[in-house]
Amino acid sequence: MDLASIVYLGVTFGMFVIFVLIVIRTYSKKRKDEGEIAKYQMLDDD
Amino acid sequence: MENQTYNYAIVRSFVTWSIIWGLVAVLVGVIVSFQMVDPDLNFPPYLTFGRLRPIHTNAGIYGWGIGMIFATFLYMVQRLCKVPLWSDKLAKFQLWFFNATIIASAVTLLLGYTTSKEYHEMEWPIDVMVVILWVVFAINIIMTILKRKDEQMYISLWYMMAAIIAVAILYIVNAAAVPVSLFKSYSAYAGTNDANVEWWFGHNAVAMVLTAPFLAMFYYFLPKSTGVPIYSHRMSIIAFWSLIFMYLWTGAHHLLWTPVPDWIQTLAMGFSIMLIAPSWGSVFNGYLSMNGQWHQMRENYLVKFLILGITFYGLQTLQGPMQAIRTFSAFIHYTDWVPAHIHLGTMGWVSMICFASIYYLVPRIYGRELYSIPLANLHFWLILVGQLTWSISLWIAGVLQAGMWNAMNSDGSLTYTFMETMVEMYPYWWARAFGGMIYLAGLIVFIYNLYKTAKKGGAIAAQATVVEGRA
Repeated sequence: MDLASIVYLGVTFGMFVIFVLIVIRTYSKKRKDEGEIAKYQMLDDD
Repeated sequence: MENQTYNYAIVRSFVTWSIIWGLVAVLVGVIVSFQMVDPDLNFPPYLTFGRLRPIHTNAGIYGWGIGMIFATFLYMVQRLCKVPLWSDKLAKFQLWFFNATIIASAVTLLLGYTTSKEYHEMEWPIDVMVVILWVVFAINIIMTILKRKDEQMYISLWYMMAAIIAVAILYIVNAAAVPVSLFKSYSAYAGTNDANVEWWFGHNAVAMVLTAPFLAMFYYFLPKSTGVPIYSHRMSIIAFWSLIFMYLWTGAHHLLWTPVPDWIQTLAMGFSIMLIAPSWGSVFNGYLSMNGQWHQMRENYLVKFLILGITFYGLQTLQGPMQAIRTFSAFIHYTDWVPAHIHLGTMGWVSMICFASIYYLVPRIYGRELYSIPLANLHFWLILVGQLTWSISLWIAGVLQAGMWNAMNSDGSLTYTFMETMVEMYPYWWARAFGGMIYLAGLIVFIYNLYKTAKKGGAIAAQATVVEGRA
């Protein structure tokens, strides 16, 4: 593999790590209500 | 009430113009499908398959698809943020500049000016118009989101913002070119780099024009139509982020078995298969949102469009990754299987969601009840049968075509000449043209129903909340 492919894969792995952090944050027990509130609010506006 | 200041007139105008461009797209599509079975229907130089086909695709994607994105985003952003548009004047400018851009595209393509890049055929002056149009749209949507009343953003707003940002990046990067005259330019990239950038753009146009915005619509109009919230907002957020992270790597699956580096092809193949997860995350979220509500499939015509739409999305996002596998791609690529796959998405997924969105919006933007629900049901069945006829006939044609191309005699020579494979296609191409005619009939029923609604539909109380805007 050349430098370009290593950088390409490195960025891919970096994005994967960010994604894992988003999953952990979204499904944290502390944020359960906060994570679901928007689906009820969107029905209110009419 | 807050909604007294909402600008629905601009939504109505975009809906009207989108339908006009959608009709052009389907009509030209039917014409080119007949040109395939009868070459005498080509009238050079302007009305040939080569010039009409990009008009069909661009009118469909940019006229109908983007037009509906403008219409629904301008509606949803006001409702979800519970504030009026940031600028009505920008929205009005956007409407007329959008039509000017579509007309300029159609005229120049008819005259034969093209970059020859699929889905990005327009020459550089029109690229400049597209960029201005998109920046104006982006400013208005993002500024409206910034002044929203609820801190938590509903999933549709996430998809809207992603589409706005990603399309801007994709379009500008792929449009990089050196102009040599008013209507001629050369790509800034060369060889395989050019192909790689083109399909990075091309496949992500599918993602950020034909997927993300329509998921935004689906997530908005399904709960609004059923009256119950989506199954899981957190699941929709995870599906969103995984889709965003994965989609941008998949473009090179259009370039399997080409000189593009092997590892890029493999990476694109891997990410394409992984994309099943976020795609089906949204499909499952849609289906699970229907728990206890499946009776609405019989009783609520809006739900039929939305659930069939997400079902087509699910089917397409299974079929797409399968096509991205090297071995299957070697068999099926360049055959009629591929346009059948694309039309499953455009005629099924995208258009079903557009039709449902328009039916939902009609009472709100016209202040009248829909003229005829039986006509809406007839519309549903015509487009469903038309689309299935279209796609199934070409799936069969594609497999037959691939089989004949690959057939070899014991001495290694090809069993069939190319012309023999072409002759075998005729029954399926007739079926495709027939399917297109049925779809067009459905579209005409839809337009008639909307016309009668605008003229004679029963007035409803909702009109009190509809304020004549400035568009």
